Amino acid sequence: LSPRSFSQAYAKFSGAPLTVNTISNSWRAPKGDVPVLISEDTVISQPAKILNFLRKQKYNADYELSAKQGADTLAYIALLEEKLLPALASIKKCLLHTFWVEAENYCSVTKPWFASRIAFPLKLYLPGKMSREALNRILLTRGGPPLCSLTEVEAQIYRDAKECLNLLSKRLGTSQFFFGHTPTTLDAFVFGFLAPIYKVCFPRVQLQEHLKQLPNLCRFCDDILTCYFRLTVSGHSPAGQDTADANLQKLTQLVNKESNLIEKMDDNLRKSPQHPPRKLTTLKLAAGGEENSPSHRLSP
Amino acid sequence: IHLLSTAAEPWPENAALYQQLKEEQILLSDNASSLAVQAFLQMCNLPIQVVCRANAEYMSPSGKLPFIHVGNQVVSELGPIVQFVKAKGHSLSDGLDEVQKAEMKAYMELVNNMLLTAELYLQWCDDVTVEEITHPRYGSPYPWPLNRILSYQKQWEVRRKMKAIGWAGKTLEQVLEDVDQCCQALSQRLGTQPYFFNKQPTELDALVFGHLFTILTTQLTTDELSEKVKNYSNLTAFCRRIEQQYFEGHDKDNSATAAARSAKRSLLR
Repeated sequence: LSPRSFSQAYAKFSGAPLTVNTISNSWRAPKGDVPVLISEDTVISQPAKILNFLRKQKYNADYELSAKQGADTLAYIALLEEKLLPALASIKKCLLHTFWVEAENYCSVTKPWFASRIAFPLKLYLPGKMSREALNRILLTRGGPPLCSLTEVEAQIYRDAKECLNLLSKRLGTSQFFFGHTPTTLDAFVFGFLAPIYKVCFPRVQLQEHLKQLPNLCRFCDDILTCYFRLTVSGHSPAGQDTADANLQKLTQLVNKESNLIEKMDDNLRKSPQHPPRKLTTLKLAAGGEENSPSHRLSP
Repeated sequence: IHLLSTAAEPWPENAALYQQLKEEQILLSDNASSLAVQAFLQMCNLPIQVVCRANAEYMSPSGKLPFIHVGNQVVSELGPIVQFVKAKGHSLSDGLDEVQKAEMKAYMELVNNMLLTAELYLQWCDDVTVEEITHPRYGSPYPWPLNRILSYQKQWEVRRKMKAIGWAGKTLEQVLEDVDQCCQALSQRLGTQPYFFNKQPTELDALVFGHLFTILTTQLTTDELSEKVKNYSNLTAFCRRIEQQYFEGHDKDNSATAAARSAKRSLLR
């Protein structure tokens, strides 16, 4: 799920030299929790735990925060998990739903990914299973009387998500980051949730439309993308086209995580005899360096 | 909720709040939620009578408790109740600016996310508590074997939800750590103020009070949960302040006082 982008953003803010591995989580990992951060020998999951872990290792982007601001961070993270996460899970389900059922999406976006990759009959089995899983998760935590039908549950989920976006927008106001001029844990967290909604390329994602009506949140995402992921808004890195393509590919993989299709692709490719083996996607974050300094200025 | 008809009618004298039976049946989490709503209504100066029914859970439109019966409308859970009361022209958070309102909502989520879930974990996933407190209490109004059936069914339901949100794999120690983290955040946010938004209480104060007061005054198989809260003196002072301000010195008949008093008694059979 999207909190992966949060961990990477957080690690970038605080300069932690960590390797982030994307790991296939839908069929093998017992809990299915992402993101997973591997540091030396410890494997941990769930964003809040990652925060604690990083703090203990003394890579702390929140050093300057007051106790109250630290408490606020925790509260807003709870808000995001409660109100925005179900919508992201729902988007994932919708993506899969539209992927298989809606012709226009299939032809224009998804066919290139899948046409030659996943062998039949996996093609038919996987998204159905994933959407059932995602659906179950949503229904378990959200459904129940008086919301019984799926559309009612989804409607409530989107209402909650839109309210959450509005609250975030109000909280951010005209500030650059949530606690002033320096990005903190909360900024990384919010970015992790917003970036996939902001950047997902499927048509008709209503939550994306709502997000685009909150210009300060869009500006917030763009700032972090340009500043910490070395991409201009149009997606080109100043360093040259090759790097731009590589960065863009990484970013696309990063922010389109909702479908989990990429891991599945990698997984199937590795197992399939007719394709050359491919490694799991890894993103190495530079240790130290000026781009990770919290005082790094935004380029105009 | 049809807001037009809601607004039209004034708050009736016979408004009632439904929960499970106080002495024998109600559990930690439901008691906390009920107390939160009672505190909120007290703060709004809206009279409410607490009615205890063994089947309150099944009467509720959402299956969750408490619910209030006002005029000809039934509303359950604090969130919707706050909105309902607002439609009738009463609000505790109107004086807050937009940023404060966002903050208030975030902190309310924190309490639900951590405190309420911890309470549910303790009463349905901690084997000792389940065996000694929950099972005997939950189905107590009903004859055997119905009492055990209902209790196991509910336990299965709650454990399913815990799995979905990733809490099933937690140890009691980890859960208590989460409670501590939550209390620390609340304590830091409250600071030396009387209420979370300084001079006037809001629904956040009601919610925090409901949970913390219940945790502090409920005897369980272990004191560890209440000890976590007691570590923060401004939180215990906060609970005492609200108890004195809104629950004491009222009629003996006032069900809110009765609820607060009975919460002090042991929930251990």
